[in-house]
Amino acid sequence: MIFNTLAYFLLFLIPGAILFRGLSPAARPWLCAVLGALFFVYFSLTELGGVLGAACLAIFVWEALCSRFYQPGSVVCLLGVVQSILFLAVFKYWNFLTGLVFGPREVNPLYWQGAFLPLGISFFTFEFIHYAVDRYRDKAREGGLGQYMAFILFFPTMVAGPIKRYQDFLPKLEAPSTDWRTDWERGTTRILCGLAKKFVIADTLTAMTGHLNAADIAVADRAVLPVWLLAYGMQIYFDFSAYSDIAIGSTRLFGIKVPENFDWPYLRTNIAEFWRHWHISLSRWLTDYVFIPLGGSRRAPAIVCANLMVTMLVSGVWHGAGMNFVVWGLWHGTLLVLHRLWSQWRGARKGAPTAAGQALSWALTFVMVNLGWAFFCMDLPTALLFFRRLFLG
Amino acid sequence: MRMLLRLKDLLEYVGGSADTPPEGFRPLSPVALGLYWGLLICAILAFSGQASKFIYIDF
Repeated sequence: MIFNTLAYFLLFLIPGAILFRGLSPAARPWLCAVLGALFFVYFSLTELGGVLGAACLAIFVWEALCSRFYQPGSVVCLLGVVQSILFLAVFKYWNFLTGLVFGPREVNPLYWQGAFLPLGISFFTFEFIHYAVDRYRDKAREGGLGQYMAFILFFPTMVAGPIKRYQDFLPKLEAPSTDWRTDWERGTTRILCGLAKKFVIADTLTAMTGHLNAADIAVADRAVLPVWLLAYGMQIYFDFSAYSDIAIGSTRLFGIKVPENFDWPYLRTNIAEFWRHWHISLSRWLTDYVFIPLGGSRRAPAIVCANLMVTMLVSGVWHGAGMNFVVWGLWHGTLLVLHRLWSQWRGARKGAPTAAGQALSWALTFVMVNLGWAFFCMDLPTALLFFRRLFLG
Repeated sequence: MRMLLRLKDLLEYVGGSADTPPEGFRPLSPVALGLYWGLLICAILAFSGQASKFIYIDF
């Protein structure tokens, strides 16, 4: 929940934003760090992870201390990347990875019965990795300890992004907007619109998406299956864009603008454009820290295609520890590869696309993205059952 | 197409993601803004309680 609880607004956001504006510039980073720590502990105890989850605040403290040793070209930065990946691997993928080796939980001697996810671990570890890599590349200045702690513990974006960049965040932390009226008016409007999108549209669609399970799919009228899947495609868009609206609106109350996450992705006419406008902060992170280090698009065509597949595989696995997310990532990787091959072939032959061609491209992109959601919202056997029923009856 | 782009800009303004309205539209007056916020709050309250968490938290 978190963003749709009164505690978020009354205990953290409103007092935090007012205090932030009133304090001296030197004290502001420490306020963000302290509020972020309280936020993490409070919502770990009340929503996710319990006491052990709250104790994971130590991860932030440890990372903040390690960050003081990140210097350009230093091997410590690489160790920082490795430890961030380890945090994620242990908490999020332990049972999945050991299950691949030893089999299902009943026969897996390493199965972690009490496994839990620290609040926001998928997102804050990506910010840790970004800082370590950019310090290594000398693309981010060090900043003070309080500033780095404010960056990693900034509570409006801690749980589910948008994934920030330190070099973008730091100037805004040092000199936030002073236009209170515009910030609060726009920020409040955005938060209310986000809440309305969540409650009125996304939650209402649950009436249809709740049927995406094996029992209901097995007996459903075939014609209703694409409607359920389309409903999920709409639900995840309105749900996550609502979340991003509330997060971005919340940061506006502090006078800080963070990256946008969505820009009308379902109106895009090809899969590459879709990914440039869907979960933008994640797509950029994957481009900068996975795709480009692999060689990006400046290699031989076969290697570029492999890089795309690996990047989308990482995206899939990041979204969840399960074979369905692996397939979802490969689905999108395949679509991106096909689009790349098509663009290269077509680009050499023709000029600008016609309106009919654009419409066809949009329809194809929309259908393929929505078919892919089947792997995202259902486990693999259920998704395969869904497609069997959808296409074979 | 031009009209659709203006509609998109207008939606971004009323949604709070753009700071200024598209050309030809005036910013919302304080009264209109108050009514708009009131409407949004009524919609939120009317539809709240369907109880689902955000998909992207602990996914």
